Amino acid sequence: MLDGRTADGAAISLRGLEKRFGSLAAVDDVSIDIESGEFLALLGPSGSGKSTILMSLAGFERPTKGQILIDGVDCTPLPPHKRNIGMVFQHYTLFPHLSVVENVAFPLKMRKVAKSERIRRAEAALKTVRLEGYGQRAPKQLSGGQQQRVALARAIVYNPRVLLMDEPLSALDKNLREEMQLEIKRLHSELGITVVFVTHDQGEALTMADRVAILKEGRLQQISPARELYERPANLFAASFIGEMNQIPVDYDGGVVRLGGGQAIALPQEALVQPVPPGKAVLAVRPERVRLVDATSADALPVRLRDVVYAGAGTLVIGDLADGTEIRARIPSADSADLRAGTTLHMGFPPGAMLLYGGGAA
Amino acid sequence: MIAEFFRPDGRHLSKAGITLLMLPFFALIFFAFLYPLVSLLSISVLEPQPTLENYRKVVDNPIYLTVLLRTLWIALLVSLLSLALAFPVAWLMARSKGPKVAFITACILLPFWSSVLVRTAAWAVLLQRHGLINEGLQLIGITSEPVRLLYTQGAVVVAMTHVLMPFMVLPIYGALRNIPADYARAAAICGANPLRTFREVYLPLTMPGIIGGFILVFLTSLGYFITPALLGSPQEMMIATLISQQIREYLDWPFAAALVGVLTLFVTVITLAFSKVFRFDRMMGGAA
Ligand SMILES: Nc1ncnc2c1ncn2[C@@H]1O[C@H](COP(=O)(O)OP(=O)(O)OP(=O)(O)O)[C@@H](O)[C@H]1O
Ligand SMILES: [Mg+2]
Repeated sequence: MLDGRTADGAAISLRGLEKRFGSLAAVDDVSIDIESGEFLALLGPSGSGKSTILMSLAGFERPTKGQILIDGVDCTPLPPHKRNIGMVFQHYTLFPHLSVVENVAFPLKMRKVAKSERIRRAEAALKTVRLEGYGQRAPKQLSGGQQQRVALARAIVYNPRVLLMDEPLSALDKNLREEMQLEIKRLHSELGITVVFVTHDQGEALTMADRVAILKEGRLQQISPARELYERPANLFAASFIGEMNQIPVDYDGGVVRLGGGQAIALPQEALVQPVPPGKAVLAVRPERVRLVDATSADALPVRLRDVVYAGAGTLVIGDLADGTEIRARIPSADSADLRAGTTLHMGFPPGAMLLYGGGAA
Repeated sequence: MIAEFFRPDGRHLSKAGITLLMLPFFALIFFAFLYPLVSLLSISVLEPQPTLENYRKVVDNPIYLTVLLRTLWIALLVSLLSLALAFPVAWLMARSKGPKVAFITACILLPFWSSVLVRTAAWAVLLQRHGLINEGLQLIGITSEPVRLLYTQGAVVVAMTHVLMPFMVLPIYGALRNIPADYARAAAICGANPLRTFREVYLPLTMPGIIGGFILVFLTSLGYFITPALLGSPQEMMIATLISQQIREYLDWPFAAALVGVLTLFVTVITLAFSKVFRFDRMMGGAA
């Protein structure tokens, strides 16, 4: 454990954040309240503004509009070196002319901590990331994962109350990445620090974060805990960005949806995450919630099978509805033994599995 | 056959291939540098008969040592001035992108399109009694009559700096360009203000480039001939001028050779001293 650490992470509040590069709004009116000690993931496709938000938090980008409050204090005009924030970058940023322990002690040197004290604290921070005894090495003598751990130690050695990470694991291979995810989670709960973590790996976001913020073209799409994000995505973008989602064009009359093939399905009230006006709409169902049913079942939809893809425990079944809309189902392989492409079978959607979104398909 | 030797497909070169590639270079070094140098140095101790007399002459007469020390001093001034001027340019280049870099590089290399002689003559025109600079000084009232600018040590230093500065810019630029922008960000977020970031990160990482440029300019300055001969005062000679004078005016080859010997000794000692402290293989950039 690091000594002299302050109790908890800071609360962060982004208010109407906007960053324009010329006519392009890299970040567009984003407001997020991050609780003290929370682990927030920023998730979105490339160019959605994740890094720009992080850079604004760190002070490397000056927002064109809006405010950044850290523990209620407006930090928007503060330069990075005065923010007392920890940060781990995507690429290895250990200084090559300093040894590992000197790298970790660097922030303490900037804070005028006496030499013996800063070496002691740097060694302690190295211990926290399980790199005891590596202090005298040059950064280049460490593996990629070890280098990122040193970078992590350097980011926490001065007990910042906020830790920012911009795709810190993207340069690592899969096994190392999973190990580091656990390491970061452990540190987070040990230190109680507020973490903002940028990634475009949805699995990483869902497993690590308390809440995930989804971004698209600079705009915040949804911010919720992982389960809610997956089960009740706020809009079609969030729905299709996280995991797989069947999207079936329908006509909605306020209570019942009518599919292209003519079948009608009565929707429960919970199917509407947000109000949907009558008219064209999209019915969304996760493939693993789709069921194979008897032709006689009330909700049976005839599906012509196109592909049956066996993948160990589960099997992916791909077929077409009467109007040609593709539909996918993931079913246990035990139930799929006698499915053949080219045949017709029936699928049904349990009431709790259906979500309805207004407008056209994403 | 050729492909077997030089392996353009990326495989390692064979010994024969390496030797063949290096051959022209070593031949040049041998015939155009080592052979003349050794024969010159042998003149200094062998003629008219085996003797150290020529070296004693160099050491005995304080004038010659003064010239040598002055040469070292001017070379140092030129190197320091080049460094001071070159660093901001290299910094700007490393910070710019695309066409801007090409433009700055062109500006730096443009003088190479004219000979050293032309550039030196240009300084003579500027610095002369009724030259642009003297007229300008009088116009803005700093002096009331022309001051002596030409044929001074100052003129030599300024003109040599002008000619040699590019050799300082390029290695420093190489070193700076290899420092990722994220290093500065990492330093800043660690609490380093811009000045500290420069001192703690940029300066140490650029040091190989600085040393490289410094050695290049310093050693070149030591042997500089045309510029000091044309712009300097005859009373404040540099060693190259002295050597040429001994050869052409007094036809004293053995003594000139002894002067070359002393200069070579100095250059060797300085180079070795530097290479003890700094690694030459990093000279051309390669910060990380
Ligand atoms: N300095 C800049 N000048 C101009 N445009 C920029 C600059 N920085 C970012 N942008 C633009 O802003 C948008 C958002 O960029 P940002 O780097 O925040 O995306 P990101 O979500 O981090 O993407 P990635 O996953 O690829 O890292 C992009 O369209 C990008 O081109
Ligand atoms: Mg990014």
